Amino acid sequence: MSYIHFPVIAVMGQFLAAFLVAIFGSKSRKASQAITLIASACAFVLVCLLIKPVALDGQIISYWMGNWEPVSGYAIGIGYEMDALGLFFAVLVSFIILMSAIYSLRYLEHDEAVDRYYTLFLMLSGSLLGLVMTGDLFNMFIMIEIMTFSAVGLTAFRNYIPEALEAAMKYLVIGSVGSSMTLAGVALLYAQTHTLNMAQVAAKIGAMQASGGLTPTVVFAFGLMFVGFGIKSFMFPFHTPVADAHPVAPTSFSMVFSTMVIKAGVYGLIRIAYIVFQVMDKSSVQILITAFGCVTMFLGVTMALAQHDFKRLLAFHSISQIGYIITALGLGTALGLTGSLFHVMNHTLFKALLFMCAGAVLHMTGSKNLDELGGLSKKMPHTTICFLIAAFSIAGIPPFNGFASKWMIYQATYEKAVESGNFFYALVTVVAVVVSVLTLASFIKVTMSVFFGQLPEKYKDAKEAPASMLIPMWITAILCLGTGVLYQLVDRTLTAPAVAASLTPANYVDKMMGSGYAASFSVKDAVATAVQHMSYWNPVLWLTLLVIVMLGVFIVILSGDNERGPVLKTKEPVADGKYATFFSGEKYRHSHMGGSDLFWGFKHDMKPYFDFIEEKHSGVLTDYTLWTIVAMAVIVVYTFVFVK
Amino acid sequence: MVQNMLMNLLHIFIFPGLLFVTVIGVLMTGIDRKLVARMQKRVGPPIVQGFYDFFKLMGKESIVPEAANKPAFLAAPIIGYVSLVVMVLFIPMFSFSVYSGTADMIVLIYLLTIPGVALIVGGTASGNPYAGVGASREMVAMIGYELPLILSVLAVCRKVGGSAMTFSLNEIVNWQAANGCALFQWALIPAALAFLLVIPGEVGTQPFDVAEAETEILEGPLIEYSGAPLAMFKLNTALKMFIMPAMFVALFLGGVHTGNVVLDVVLFILLTGLVSFITMTVPHAIAARFKVERLFKFYWTLVAALGLVSLVLVWFGL
Repeated sequence: MSYIHFPVIAVMGQFLAAFLVAIFGSKSRKASQAITLIASACAFVLVCLLIKPVALDGQIISYWMGNWEPVSGYAIGIGYEMDALGLFFAVLVSFIILMSAIYSLRYLEHDEAVDRYYTLFLMLSGSLLGLVMTGDLFNMFIMIEIMTFSAVGLTAFRNYIPEALEAAMKYLVIGSVGSSMTLAGVALLYAQTHTLNMAQVAAKIGAMQASGGLTPTVVFAFGLMFVGFGIKSFMFPFHTPVADAHPVAPTSFSMVFSTMVIKAGVYGLIRIAYIVFQVMDKSSVQILITAFGCVTMFLGVTMALAQHDFKRLLAFHSISQIGYIITALGLGTALGLTGSLFHVMNHTLFKALLFMCAGAVLHMTGSKNLDELGGLSKKMPHTTICFLIAAFSIAGIPPFNGFASKWMIYQATYEKAVESGNFFYALVTVVAVVVSVLTLASFIKVTMSVFFGQLPEKYKDAKEAPASMLIPMWITAILCLGTGVLYQLVDRTLTAPAVAASLTPANYVDKMMGSGYAASFSVKDAVATAVQHMSYWNPVLWLTLLVIVMLGVFIVILSGDNERGPVLKTKEPVADGKYATFFSGEKYRHSHMGGSDLFWGFKHDMKPYFDFIEEKHSGVLTDYTLWTIVAMAVIVVYTFVFVK
Repeated sequence: MVQNMLMNLLHIFIFPGLLFVTVIGVLMTGIDRKLVARMQKRVGPPIVQGFYDFFKLMGKESIVPEAANKPAFLAAPIIGYVSLVVMVLFIPMFSFSVYSGTADMIVLIYLLTIPGVALIVGGTASGNPYAGVGASREMVAMIGYELPLILSVLAVCRKVGGSAMTFSLNEIVNWQAANGCALFQWALIPAALAFLLVIPGEVGTQPFDVAEAETEILEGPLIEYSGAPLAMFKLNTALKMFIMPAMFVALFLGGVHTGNVVLDVVLFILLTGLVSFITMTVPHAIAARFKVERLFKFYWTLVAALGLVSLVLVWFGL
């Protein structure tokens, strides 16, 4: 069978499996789990098989549903089109779906009616895959709707928790506003170009750009779709539903939510801005997107510092990291887009891992309160190591993957600043570095208050998570390190082709509408120049050095006084003796440092700011909706005034 | 091939790697202590006291507390030490540099955070609440000095790169060899001041030693450490005492040509010692410890403003 059918089979397989679970799943838990596992594994394999033809050989797969090919240059059927950009996201989606499916086997063991969970879960994964593969604007909107509504349903899956219903309600309202914006944008585009096929729309807009600029309708459509996908990616000020949704949603869904559902918005932004509208060479659009990204990353991380719920904290970090991604993709340079896409992948890996660790802690102890937990590293060593790897990755400590992508983002923003002479981008670089340090601080806080410190009495019997949860954790953890060290390999196979695909809309148009079509509408060949390769960061070299030096140090230490040795067995009881913790006479029970007790100096100095943002995050849905509407108005006015 | 490998090993283990930087760092702590003592009209320890301390600690028993996470507790000091040694290999000493073209400022700044993170992780892994307080303060200090540090580095990079972008320390040194020290560009003087003020914060010497603060929180993160791991942490501080001034010399006083590599290196070390004296010894002798919130405010207002002024000046071509 030819590989051109693979994308459609992957998408349809997920939807089919969803119906199968709905039919057979109510009888037995095993059946729904088996169907989900098989479907997600198949999708993963199918997508991975496409890496060779699409990413490495640079082909673009086009597929007309029901063989409705374009008639006299007009696309009338629904077309699927898979280029390297779509493939990049599809690989991530199917990987995370598979990991989440494995993780959920034991994680949902205390929940009733898991068939409903798996039905929605498969609908979600099918819609995500469909979203990144479709070549049709209206089909894209439908996929977004399926995605949003399955996500809302999954958020409220544990519907005996009142907060879950509240969170789902918030997500539903804000998400619907976003969907309506997208729909309105699609409708306007249809009115303007008389087609819904993205390739053809891109060609028509390309012609428009070549002959005297975009019409106001198209600009308006861009503003609306930017807001729509901005809401789907939860950038500031649309970020509010995320924070409420994560703490109550099942963790196996949280990890998909914070990695891939959010990235669906990012994918949409890249697709419309770079390919459909081809506006990324306009400095007004660059500043708009970068500014929103920059605010998002700073606000997200500072809100995260104020949290003491494990999963809510991670939710705010998702927002902050999305800020990095949006900032970098808004630069409109090849390096920026590379950094952005690489960060998309890294964030997917480490955030999934963080959520899995949080879920493991929650599952085994029943708590996600950072002020209560403590000292779990003795009880859950695997979870601790995985968490540390993920925390170092998100904080960007070399040689983990977060470092490589953040470093590209600093480089890209500063390069942009120097090239354009705009001081704004230099400040963006500074903010990005500071946010990185704050991220580190925030994860130190979690490490300290959950895994290290004193073990509270009530968690004396906590156990390590079961194997079906540890396996996906370890796979992702190894990938976090692997993609950091071998980032050049990853760049060659996934990100560089995706960047090249985003920067050459003409290829995308030609493949779908027949070659020469793009040229006849004068679609720009490349929006930005080719990727520059990093010369200064060579992780393999650094790592080799690190290992050699570390060997040297170990030799020095081992050749020293070995009789008493550096590592000792502990025999004496905790309460007294030399292996006890030194409390200086204080009572043991006062000794644990809870999450809220940390970083006093920083919080003290920044108190006005923290008070302000915490007051603004009132939790009232009408406030949040108001923010959304106001931001939409601002963005639309901005696009009208500045985007020509 | 073999010769090349031997040269690499020589660089890594003898000069300017492991052995050299350790010896020079420990000597600098000795000189620092002696000078502080003299300024305070004390006799002070001998200059090689650092070595005595090191060997004494290596011979002592290493206790891992019951509540500690043993792997993290023991690995932390070694990882911090190793990343510092690796950093030294990438700092060009005037005309002498081991791995040219690989010294990226951003990478160096990030590597520089690893010892701090190691101290925090090691301290928190010990399970002691005092260590927790210390680690928390270390983190606040880190947030504090990172902002001015990045501002002043960006200013230098902009000045050197002109209309092209560079983060390469080698290029910065070469530029200074052609155009004179960056310190003498008047627009960069605020950045240099900011960097000078960052140095003691990064190393954690008085008056910026909020994290260890013996008199308040009993050496904070180090409270449960003893024996060899404690010796390694002391070495980390000693290494930082060399590396931070060395970075300053490379960034702001680079580009001296004497034509002789040995002379260059000696001059580099002397300048480093001078910077270390100005930034660490003198404040240590005359100032009392900051409160932690004052420290943070100091860095994010005065020092960050200095860095920002420099960046703006350089940006608009001054």
